[in-house]
Amino acid sequence: MPNLPQKKEIFLTGLWKDNPVLRQILGICSTLAVTNLMVNTLVMDAGLIFTVCMSSLTVSLLRHYTPMRIRMMVQTLIIASYVIIVDILIKAYLPEISEALGPYVALIITNCIIMGRCEAFARNNPPVASLIDGLGMSVGYSLVLIVIAFVREPLGFGTLMGIRVMSEGFVQWTVMIMAPGAFFTLGILVWIMKYFLPNTKTGEEKT
Amino acid sequence: MNAINPLTLFFAAIFTNNILLTNFLGLCPFLSISKEKKSAMGMGAAVVFVMASTTILNNLIYYKLLLPLGLEYFRYIVFIVVIAAFVQLVEMMVERFFPPLYYVLGIFLPLITVNCAIFGASLFMVIRGYDLMQSLAYGAGSGIGWWMAIMAVSTIREKLQKSANLPKGLEGPAITLIITGLLSLAFLAFSGMIRVQ
Amino acid sequence: MVSGEEEEGPGMTKQLQSVVYMFLISLFFASLVSAVKYLSEERIASNQAIKLQRIVLKVLDIPVGKNISEDRISSLFTERVKDIQVGEKTLYVGYEEDGRTIKGYAFPVGGPGFWGPIHGMVGVNPEATKLLGIAFTKHSETPGLGGRITEDWFLTQFKGLPIHPIEGDQKIFYLKPAGTTTAANELDAITGATNTSSAVEAFLNKDLDHFLIKLWRSVEDRK
Repeated sequence: MPNLPQKKEIFLTGLWKDNPVLRQILGICSTLAVTNLMVNTLVMDAGLIFTVCMSSLTVSLLRHYTPMRIRMMVQTLIIASYVIIVDILIKAYLPEISEALGPYVALIITNCIIMGRCEAFARNNPPVASLIDGLGMSVGYSLVLIVIAFVREPLGFGTLMGIRVMSEGFVQWTVMIMAPGAFFTLGILVWIMKYFLPNTKTGEEKT
Repeated sequence: MNAINPLTLFFAAIFTNNILLTNFLGLCPFLSISKEKKSAMGMGAAVVFVMASTTILNNLIYYKLLLPLGLEYFRYIVFIVVIAAFVQLVEMMVERFFPPLYYVLGIFLPLITVNCAIFGASLFMVIRGYDLMQSLAYGAGSGIGWWMAIMAVSTIREKLQKSANLPKGLEGPAITLIITGLLSLAFLAFSGMIRVQ
Repeated sequence: MVSGEEEEGPGMTKQLQSVVYMFLISLFFASLVSAVKYLSEERIASNQAIKLQRIVLKVLDIPVGKNISEDRISSLFTERVKDIQVGEKTLYVGYEEDGRTIKGYAFPVGGPGFWGPIHGMVGVNPEATKLLGIAFTKHSETPGLGGRITEDWFLTQFKGLPIHPIEGDQKIFYLKPAGTTTAANELDAITGATNTSSAVEAFLNKDLDHFLIKLWRSVEDRK
């Protein structure tokens, strides 16, 4: 099938070459906020994957019917609705985590990745491709967050998923739990990424 | 409900709870706009205005409309729509009545709609149960805090561009993030300054 | 959306189409969200109830056990706790296994934290001379810093803390930087979260004092 290699290509682009966090520099807010604990990171990842995939799918299904003029409003409405659904579900089935994540689940709505994919891909492409694009981007995002949490939680708390991983005498790097540690870790990751892909432009330089 | 003095809240929102340096909100436009001082100025001013206004508007809508009707779970949609509509309105008014201002500020306005800081401010306002005066103080303070952060980072970036020899990989977003991290670290020093009690 | 000129005729229909479309889409998604909300409401309400019951049992030092089912928590709560209204406040009376001897009293506490209001629950012994336990139910403090007030090491410090009405400026307890505590009523604050620690010290002292002075009288009277 001529489409099949294309689909794999779409998925992999989201993971590496056009990684939303490290290449397009999108979705930074939540990346920095939740990565001080691995468990919060995983729940955020799940929430984002669901929202991006469903939003991209829905926008793509409706792409022939949505008037050009109001498409951004429609996209916002769709995204917001799925986020509310995710929020309600987490509150119902994972109440402690819902409290820990606080407003950051709601902030998925303004996560530029979702709007970005709807605008750049879903509104011009068929549903299955859009779903795969969404999946690739959100999994790419998730992997980056997991790496950052892998650095921040052990260094900052001495644990990983609540289980102690550093030796008892280890003095915690409190800076890793707080804002500065997040900025530094992400900055260094972006730097490393640029080292691997020096010739392509990152999202910022594209504007 | 909170008993925090609005004035204390105002200063806390700028220094100790800076919406960007502590809460990580409003970073996406931040990373692209902070390249020059001039655009940072323009964006900052627009953000202060929109943030203060929408936080108050959303407070009114949430407590006077959504809660009494039991529809508070729609607040995410309502807040975003209010913000988008408000920005649209401001854009139209500025374009018609203050054309010179429009040429400076106008292009930033659509970008503000997706600025998570604005939406975040309204969300925090609800979580922390701020009343009207507190919402004004918090919204205005957060906006000014964001403005200060973006001014500081853009000034540093401009200087770096002219004088420093950065490794190729650090240019652009990487160094901006590290600068922001250092700024965030510096702002932590304000922690003891405000007694929010 | 641009405030420009629309063509007559076909332009008008286009605008109308957009409005109708927006309306239909909004209706669809509003219904979807409402449906999910409706289906989850019971679950969310029961989560809240179980959470309250679990907390009350915990601060009264009634053992709950690790992987206990929600039904078990509910039945344990019904067996061992009664709630009474003292004025506007709800007081929880905990009983020993015999169902008659009072084990202690639990009551909600709360006050402004650093970022937002903090809510908690405190348990005291039947004579109201010491704390049985404390737990926090809701807060908006920084995860990893102020948020650590919910961690076991912080909470267990309060177990057995002697309480008395505040006289002059002698507080019931103080939160001091970890490692500097000397007296029995000095407990470890959270490193790096000075504001949250002082907020907790402030409202907790106030609420305990309030209970001992205002509410304890009514409780004793009921005995």
